[in-house]
Order: sequence, then structure tokens, then C-alpha cells
Amino acid sequence: MNAIGSVLAVWAVELVLFALVVAALLAERPLALGTTIGAIAALAVLARTSSRLWDWVTAAFRAHRAAALAGAAVLALALPFFLRASPYWTFVATLALVYVTIGQGLNLQIGTTGVINLAGAAFAGLGGYTVGLLTVRLGVTPWLAFLTGPLVAVIVGALLFIPILKVRGHYLALVTIAFGFIFNILMNNLEFTGGPQGIKNIPTLRLFGYAFTTAPELFGMKLPYHANFYFAALAMAALVTWLTWRLYNSWTGLTLNTVRDDEIAAKCSGVSVARYKLLAFSIGNFSIGLGGAFYAVMVGFVSPPDFDFGYSLVMVSIIILGGLDSIPGIVLGASLLIPLPERFRFLHEYRLLLYGAAIVLMLIFRPRGLWPAAVRRYGLREPAASFAPEGGRR
Amino acid sequence: MSLFTTRALTVRFGGLTAVDQVDLRVEEGETLGLIGPNGSGKTTFFNAVTGLVPAAGEVWFRGGPLQGLEPHVICRRGIARTFQASRLCLNQSVFDNVLIGMHTRVRSGVWDALVRRRRVLAEVRHALAEAAHLLSLFNAELVERGFEPVGALPQIDRRRVEICRALAAHPRLLLLDEPSAGMNPEETLELMKDLQIVRGEMPGLSVIIIEHDMFVIEGVSHRVVAFNYGRKIAEGTFSEVARNEEVREAYLGRAADAGEAAPAASLGG
Repeated sequence: MNAIGSVLAVWAVELVLFALVVAALLAERPLALGTTIGAIAALAVLARTSSRLWDWVTAAFRAHRAAALAGAAVLALALPFFLRASPYWTFVATLALVYVTIGQGLNLQIGTTGVINLAGAAFAGLGGYTVGLLTVRLGVTPWLAFLTGPLVAVIVGALLFIPILKVRGHYLALVTIAFGFIFNILMNNLEFTGGPQGIKNIPTLRLFGYAFTTAPELFGMKLPYHANFYFAALAMAALVTWLTWRLYNSWTGLTLNTVRDDEIAAKCSGVSVARYKLLAFSIGNFSIGLGGAFYAVMVGFVSPPDFDFGYSLVMVSIIILGGLDSIPGIVLGASLLIPLPERFRFLHEYRLLLYGAAIVLMLIFRPRGLWPAAVRRYGLREPAASFAPEGGRR
Repeated sequence: MSLFTTRALTVRFGGLTAVDQVDLRVEEGETLGLIGPNGSGKTTFFNAVTGLVPAAGEVWFRGGPLQGLEPHVICRRGIARTFQASRLCLNQSVFDNVLIGMHTRVRSGVWDALVRRRRVLAEVRHALAEAAHLLSLFNAELVERGFEPVGALPQIDRRRVEICRALAAHPRLLLLDEPSAGMNPEETLELMKDLQIVRGEMPGLSVIIIEHDMFVIEGVSHRVVAFNYGRKIAEGTFSEVARNEEVREAYLGRAADAGEAAPAASLGG
């Protein structure tokens, strides 16, 4: 099949998946819902059993990465239009994008560098509460507060991390768990953070006078105001994912992976392990804090239960489901784990059970995730042999 | 002045003295063989030199002291090493395992990774070419498999990748820890040829090689030092050390028969 044919095939696959996802989200009547679920299940079975088809599809996607990304971008931009009848689903889609942003940061820490952070929600909370405190208590403009939130997460993270830099992995995890609870207790009990009520009436973002709480009208269609946040979150998640990809496919990514895989080999290759762990922790906390800050502006209030340990668990389960150290895996993981319990309301009560089960099952059966990290190619298309010198032994 | 000198280097783990007042020197361009029975402190000596374990005494390299420095600083000064049980990142590609060796020579950092990608890619391409060159010294097939996980390679190729990683740092002193461990005679012969190629490529490079295989030691060393119970017990050319009574006793447990024909054969294995 020629190039145009396989590009069209890539777009067709993306379109079919998109249609199925939208239908699954919006179908109300049992027949429609049943048919959609059935179609998805049939596709999954087909993908697993027919390896020729699977290989062909993945090869086509790999060969036309730019076209695939462009197609996905168009569909992502189109999603709110299909969801415009439901502010609720627009909100859920936006939340998934927030988790993508947070997930890339947390993955940089846990998956790429092996720095186990089980207080993701607390660092998101640092971002969110900073926004709340700066805007409501101090009258700072929302954009400035929004950009300061992640910085606070980074600074507090560094203060927490520096004393324990020499500590081994398991102890670090325990320290982060403790920090998560400390954060929760502090937010609950300090007066200036609003106690159990939290901080409400956080002002929304404005872009050149246009308030994000205004319902937009685009291409003749009226969208719920949540769509504003969706597009903003899409830009944020895309930017963070793109930058994380660049970081991973560079010398820094290589160094972080080596710190994770073998500290002693890293040290003897000239790597300052402590410095790089702190670097990964800080950059990761920036993304996590950014997600938390966005959540604060999107929802308009922050309170302690919004950032408790259960949400740290959600973040970790996204990473494990999608794939440790896998940038596309994070996108997949968030896209699956955030809407699913909302769709199947009967699961909602057992949400934490679902996330815990996802972690355990994945670690047993597919520890590398649904979209495992591939070998680093630095984004280069050249085959390995093209780097060979002329001649050479044997 | 020698390139590398230790004076009374001592490593103690609680009551056990693993390295005992060792005086050692290596000249520029020299390959020093380090032999001794298991547990005689050879690897601990390497660990002390590279800053992985605390040690008493002095270590001098290129005129400056090394004692008390962190391992990554010591690497920057120009010492690279391999490990007895290979420390490769098995899930990472062959190229990546070599490229990390160039860490001290890389110019682009986090900022470049985020906003100046062209600079990063230029440096990466250059580095991949250099890695391919190093790998091709040993086995051209390693280059073709450059983007495969290194865990898929056989043992001897993994050893070669680890040596390439050490060479990628452009060291002045290379520490090889039992490179032929676990290899059959054919592979050992290939390894020895590899080491001779390295010597030809980098004539100024100094090497300390720990080995149990006397064939390799004899083939690549200019001088040999023997350890026993953490102490240096002999120093000289290979045949001098091989004939040393204390060395034979260390390996064989009792004074060797005067009628032994080939010292290399009697100490081999």
C-alpha cells in the first residue's frame, strides 16, 4: 500500500476509535450502549488475535507519525463539539487532560528516574492551594497565581527532598507518603488555608477580557463554558507532553534512566546521582503543581479532600496502567482511568478498589504497561547501521 | 612522576582489612595486570580508587589527590572502569549504554533539551557515530544492533559494550575488573585481541586489569602486581611474579614443585 493509502488508513483507524469512544460516553439507551461496548470488545479481540493486522496498523502509525499526531490533534480539538450537550462529560474530558499533565510529571519521577513519589496529590494541592491563597486572600491576578502554583510545588518539594537525597528508594516512598498526610492535615487545620471548607470563589481565568466562565459559540454551535477549560487543558497537556518527550529523548533522559537502572554505574560514568534525582523531582513537581493549579481555576475552589492519598493512588495507577516511563502510556492511562468510573456509575463507589486492582493486575500480568516504553531513539529515523564508520573490524 | 600512585591505601570493613597498606603505581601508557586469589582485595582496591568505598591512605592521579572525592568527580578526572558482574542497563539500547559513558563530555543540558533541540540532536548524532566507531573496533554487528536492548546480546558482547562505555569517557586510566569472567577459551582469546586493539587505538591509555586468566594477563600486561589478603605480595614482569614463591603459595596453598614447566599453566584456570 502506498504512502497516501496508509496515511488514510491511519486516519480511518483514529476516526473509528474516536467515534466509538464518543458513542460509549454519550450513549444513554441500553441498546446503543450495548452495541458500542460490543464493537469495542470486538475490535480488542481482533487486535489481540490477528497479529498481522496489528503489526500492519502499528507499522503504518510508526511510518506516519506526524500525520497520526495531526489527526489525533484534530480529533482532540473536535471532541468538545461532540460533547456539547453534556457539560459533565466536557468536564470529565478536561479532568483527564489535567491528569495527563500531572501524569507526565509524576512519570518523570517514578518511571524515568526511579524516584518514587507517592504524594502526587499533595504536590498538586500545593499548586491548587497557592492559586487559591494568592487570588482570594491576596488579590493576585489569576494568571500570575496560576504560574506561581507550580513554583511553590517545586520549592517545597526541593526542601523536602534535599535532606533525604542519600536515602534509598523504599525510604523515599515512605517519606513522600508521610508528606502527603502532613499536607492534608495542615490544610485541614490551618486557619488561613480555610480548614476543612478550603478556599472558595477562586476567580476564573480571563483572556483579553474574555472570562473562561462564558459559554463560547464556535462554528455556529453553542458549547458549555467547560469547553474553554477543555481547550486550555488540551494546550497545557500537549505542551507538557511535548516538553517531557524532548527531555526524555535527550542526554538528560538518558542520564535519568541510568540513575534509575544502576546508580553505581551512573556514578562511575561521571553522573552526580543526587543532583539528577533532585532535577527529576523538581521538574516533575512543576508539572504536577501545574495540574493542581489548573484544577483550582477550573473548579473554582480547593479543599483538603480534593488532594488526599486516594488521588495520589489514582495518579500512580495511571502511570502503571499506561506504562512506566512511557510518555504515550500516560495519555492512554489517563484517558482510560478517568472517564471509566464516571461512565459506569456503579463502579464509582468502588473507585479506589478499581484503581488498586488495576495496579496489582498490571504489575502481575503486564508490568510494562499497556503502551510500554520503547528503546530511546532520540526521535531519529536513521537505522542503527547508518552510524557505522566506513570499514571496521570483522 | 607516575600517572597514578597509591600510598598505603587501606580499606577496612569493621574488623576485616580488605586492602592493606597498598603502594602501587601506574605509568602513562602502561598496562598493569592485577592478580591474586579470590577475596584478595583486588575489586575492593578498584572500589577504593573510584571512591565507592571509604579508604585511608593516599591516591594520586595526574598530580592531584583522589582520596575523599565522590565517584562522579573521580570519573571526571579521567578514570573509567568496568565491573566484575557487568553493570549495564539491560533494558536500554546498546548505543545508550555506550552514550552514558560520554556524560562528562556532553555540553547540552536541560535547557537545550527543552528549547534548543537542534543542538541536542547534533551532539547526539556525533556521539552515536563515536559509539559506533568504538563498538565496531570489537564487533561490527554491535553497531547494527545499536538500538536493540543490550540484554539481548550474548555475554562477550555485553562485556565489549561495557568496555566501550568506559572508553567513551576518554579516560587516562581504565580499570578492567575480570573482563574474561564467564567466558570460554575462544571468547577469552577474542577478548584479548580486543584489548590489544584498544591498546593500539589509544596508546597513551593506562590500564589496570584484574584477571584470573593468566593467558590474558601475560598477553596484555607490561607489569604485574599480585595481591593476597589485601596486601601486595609481588611486583614485576609476568614471569618474575609467576615464579614468586609467595604468589604460588597464595594460589596453590603450598610451595610449588620446582619441576613445574610453564608457570602460566600452573597458575591458570
